[in-house]
Amino acid sequence: MENIKSSPLGIPNSNSSKMASGSPNTMGQPMSSSYENRWLSTGEDTKKGSPLVSRRKSITPEENKPNNSKEANKGKKDTRPQNPNEPPKKAQKDMTKAERRAMQEKQRQEKQSRVAAGLPKGAKQAAELEVKKNPSPVSADTDDTKQKKKALSKNQQNQVPWLLHLDVPKTSDALTKDLHPAVLQLGLYFSEHKIVGSNARCVAMLEIFSKVISDHKPPSDATFSRHIQKHLDPHIAYLLSIRPMSLSMRECIRWLKKEMADIVEEDPPLSDDESRTRLIERIGHFIRERITMADQLIVQNGLQKIQDGDVILTYAKSSVVESLLLETKKKGIDFKVIVVDSRPLFEGKHLLRRLVAAGIDCSYHLLSSIYVALKSVTKVIMGAHALLNNGAVYSRIGSSMVAMAASDKQIPVMICCETYKFVNRTQVDSFVLNELGNPDDLVQTTTNTYDAKKSDTAVLANWRDQPDLRLLNILYDVTPSKYITLVVTEVGLIPCTSAPVVSYKFNCIIKTCIDFYFYFYYYLLYRFGVNTSNEEFGKRVA
Amino acid sequence: MSISVGLEAQIEDFIQRLKRRQILGSYFVAKETATILRQVVSTSRWRDVNVLIDIVTQTGIRLAAAQPNELAVGNIVKRVLKVIREVSRGELETEGRDEREEAIPDYSSFDEDELVDSDKEQSIFKQSSTTSSLSGSISGRPELTTQTSMFRLLADMSTLTVREQKREENEKRVRDTYNLKPLIIQEINEEIIADLDTIYKGIADQALDFIHANEVIMTIGISRTVQEFLIRASQKRKFQVLVAETAPTYQGHKMALSLSKAGIDTTVIADSAIFAAMPRVNKVVLGAHAVLANGALVSVSGSHLLAAAAKHHSTPVLVCTALYKLSPLFAYVADAFNVTVSPQNVLNFQEGPIIDKVTITNPYYDYVGPDYVSLFIHNLGSAPPTYVYRLINDNYDPEDSTTF
Repeated sequence: MENIKSSPLGIPNSNSSKMASGSPNTMGQPMSSSYENRWLSTGEDTKKGSPLVSRRKSITPEENKPNNSKEANKGKKDTRPQNPNEPPKKAQKDMTKAERRAMQEKQRQEKQSRVAAGLPKGAKQAAELEVKKNPSPVSADTDDTKQKKKALSKNQQNQVPWLLHLDVPKTSDALTKDLHPAVLQLGLYFSEHKIVGSNARCVAMLEIFSKVISDHKPPSDATFSRHIQKHLDPHIAYLLSIRPMSLSMRECIRWLKKEMADIVEEDPPLSDDESRTRLIERIGHFIRERITMADQLIVQNGLQKIQDGDVILTYAKSSVVESLLLETKKKGIDFKVIVVDSRPLFEGKHLLRRLVAAGIDCSYHLLSSIYVALKSVTKVIMGAHALLNNGAVYSRIGSSMVAMAASDKQIPVMICCETYKFVNRTQVDSFVLNELGNPDDLVQTTTNTYDAKKSDTAVLANWRDQPDLRLLNILYDVTPSKYITLVVTEVGLIPCTSAPVVSYKFNCIIKTCIDFYFYFYYYLLYRFGVNTSNEEFGKRVA
Repeated sequence: MSISVGLEAQIEDFIQRLKRRQILGSYFVAKETATILRQVVSTSRWRDVNVLIDIVTQTGIRLAAAQPNELAVGNIVKRVLKVIREVSRGELETEGRDEREEAIPDYSSFDEDELVDSDKEQSIFKQSSTTSSLSGSISGRPELTTQTSMFRLLADMSTLTVREQKREENEKRVRDTYNLKPLIIQEINEEIIADLDTIYKGIADQALDFIHANEVIMTIGISRTVQEFLIRASQKRKFQVLVAETAPTYQGHKMALSLSKAGIDTTVIADSAIFAAMPRVNKVVLGAHAVLANGALVSVSGSHLLAAAAKHHSTPVLVCTALYKLSPLFAYVADAFNVTVSPQNVLNFQEGPIIDKVTITNPYYDYVGPDYVSLFIHNLGSAPPTYVYRLINDNYDPEDSTTF
């Protein structure tokens, strides 16, 4: 099944979503059948139906268009910069043999004319070239396609040439039917950046999947364990299309698929209810063990490294670093924090609020003035999105600059990272895999809403009208391992080049140690309650 | 002093505008300073060169104090003083030399290498003559450097005795003072003011020497010099430019807009993406607010990050700057010439009560050490940072550097 191949590993493939929308067709049911009717047995869920329907209408205005005309189809597919070959295949299903042959003939002729004209062979590249030559295309097509081509030209024009392989962020998508409403809601949260941060997104996603699993009733001809994987795939694909998955989320999904495969392998085969409960329990265990507990262990380990009089610099917002700093304050250590922030997300401001509320002495700088800030800094502590196999850190854009500046001044750089974020891939530059943000975020330069309304428009307000101007908003970057002093994980303090060793050994040896720690910790919690846990833990284990 | 009322009013106005930062941009500051000083030279009363030097120095101290980090003011004042000294020295030394030859400020006569014994003797003569002649001069220090060509040595030593020489020089000085004024004014006009008008052309003319086809250039902030440099190059070569947006001033936005209007393929990136994008960049071109005597740069906040990232990727850094930005001062500490402006743009008042509890800093400039810069491109050519001290010697007199 192509869906499995495309979703967890590689670049998100939006065509899988189209395939999924095709599936109710092949199953012989009408396309408008809602998720609730198929998968959710009880009548109470129909209440969710109506808000879902209205939301669906608002999210997917162009849902009806794609299958109208072949040309519109082709024009729309051109906006997605990958896999131009698959979509025609899908349309061919609807056509008769004769129609298909006619289309192939037409395509062959077009290709010949293109080669004759000296343009590149591919249809997509030819369209690109043509669009670049005349930004306002003159075509004899319908208004629909003309508009689509204009959108194409503006979209294409904004593509930085060496980032064409990345997806442009899409604000809406065709597929929302046949999905659990909670997943749709989650997708909305992701697209509006209401849930940001790798830990938050992972936890949210796993919890939602847990809910999907618990609500799922397989069709009568399949067992739960075999069907659940196939069932989850469109949800995963939908989330991928909203926002490309973080590397850590992909690791979670990989783990989840492994669990589901394990359940299928189980001998004697588990009943539906058993497998469901087991899966939900495993997900809960994962969240607790690899994320929540890991964070607390990281805080414990990181506390060893912070002393009185330290001036700590942190960048953007990391949930682990925030916990570490708050815990340091609780322990009564005398320290200062400098929060460095950057455009366009200004995540550091949220961190700043929390730290100030806890009574920590804080300063706030923008990234461009970091050298002034670094004069008094003793340590730099940052979070990470993922730790790559070569020891490099994949993190929020700008963290590589902080690490570089700190290492130039011989200031130690600590990264706080849970082991579930250790990813089995390597990247040597920041462009090969990245996420493009919304370029219009760069336009608004005043964060002051009063000024934004009162004064005239920002300098770049009409940037799309300028033919040679592009705005680039990428969200992640790769920090080379030579700038990083150490990584704080729940298994201890390791140099960043040991990351592959840890992730390899994790399943064998260390896991049992962690299990021991966790059960011991639970025991302590049970005996002594939550508040005293840290001191007790330190006393017992030290 | 002996400055007319009208001119005094003009000076006061300029000082006020400097203090309030109403005049921004070192080019305009430099031009206005030069104009004012030219008027000082022409309208004030002075009989002797040293009086003139005093007047100009006093005015210069006032102007420089108005906005100490606007180094262009001090630079122009020092250049004018150098011109005055050069012209007066040129007049005094030449007896029977060509008039035209004198009028040109002697770069050739500035040979430290040729300090032979007889040179020292002659300079000692000068020293004694200057100290004996005038009172109330603050520049009583010995004139350290002077030149001479070998030929004049033989001519001088032959005919006159020491006393006679002194008398002759005194009389000559009184005579020549009246000749000096138009010469000085002419020099100021040619050297300084006309120079200011042609800096952009001088720098842009070199653009084709540094940019090849299909390059990717990164820049930061807004600089008219860099703009002209790139636009001139784009007329003959096709390349792309990445502009860092330079928060919190967002000068990069304006720069990108003007570059794209000139037809250059421009991309705006956030400051945080500088390191990520650097592997794709072939050259970094920066503008400068000031260049210091050790070859260091004072530039808009964020340039240090850009230069450091370029160094880590071994990307050459070119700095386009005109010579009037070259200052004979050293930065005793990295932020000696930095100024902090309102933190409103960093964390504005709408953020609420946390404003009271948080320290917010908004430095306007950045200090970039000389090891980050590959080359300075100025209107008279180009120079690596190690050559900057020669440029300073050519344009400024060491006596002036200590006064302000």
